[in-house]
Amino acid sequence: MNVARRDVLRGLALLPVAGGLAVGTVACTEEPEPPPPPDPLADLAASARADADAATAIVSAVPALAAVAGEVAAARDEHATALRAEVDRERPPVSSSTPPSSAPPADPPADEAAARELLAGSLDAAHQQAADLVAGLPAYRAGLVGSVAAGCASLRVVLG
Amino acid sequence: MRQPSSSAPPPAESLDAVQAALGAEHAAIWVYGLVSAFLPEQFEAPVGEGTTAHRARRDTTERLLADAGQTPRPPEPAYVAPQPVTDQASALAVLVVAESDTAVAWRAVLERTDDKALRTSALEALTGAAVRATRWRRAAGETPAARAFPGQPA
Repeated sequence: MNVARRDVLRGLALLPVAGGLAVGTVACTEEPEPPPPPDPLADLAASARADADAATAIVSAVPALAAVAGEVAAARDEHATALRAEVDRERPPVSSSTPPSSAPPADPPADEAAARELLAGSLDAAHQQAADLVAGLPAYRAGLVGSVAAGCASLRVVLG
Repeated sequence: MRQPSSSAPPPAESLDAVQAALGAEHAAIWVYGLVSAFLPEQFEAPVGEGTTAHRARRDTTERLLADAGQTPRPPEPAYVAPQPVTDQASALAVLVVAESDTAVAWRAVLERTDDKALRTSALEALTGAAVRATRWRRAAGETPAARAFPGQPA
């Protein structure tokens, strides 16, 4: 009986250790937490920033379009700022580093028709990109992204 | 208890926002009827287009509310324009107000529903109102003619 009880006690005493080992083993083989999926608004913010930069370049390169391109640049800059703020609000950046800057815009076309076509194409794409997201977003983001989509459609009217 | 065959009706908060949007559509239809007397012939087509768009939106919105068991809000017996409409400039201005109010109402619906179909139709209504408001501002010679965030309450 004594021997049996000692074995039982030893068995019990071992349990936490075994448990600890098991936990340790799990911890060692566990995959690192997967990064959260990218925020869909980050892409919208990047497009808005790229559009604002391209339109700003057209303001100085194509004087005939300066007023219109200036309006596009100002509105798309506001879009970029508001969308970026929403991305950062929901998931504050871990470091103070700024998000990777997009590639510098290509030289703007000096030809008026080509510049107009470039602006129109990017506004149409931005409108579609925002509109496609609206149905699936959480309600508190749907208003902002809906306004961005409607704003791009309105800028398209300004462009003529 | 009768369950609709397709999906559950939108919740009360969504329906209140839709009723408010219907109210904005009624007001816009009234405004489009008011302005035509003050605008030259060149505006006949865009006024007709706006009227048709708002009537169509009113009709689909009334159907949506009725399907959800709600009584669609009727038009008000009378409306007052924010500024007296006496000429082309004041007529264009009140059109901008009507479209902007409509845009605000539909953006509010976007923020108060998770129903995908209602989101899609609210976005269409918001975009249509924003585009027409921009056209009326352009016609009035206003710059900038577009707003960066149509429907965002001021």
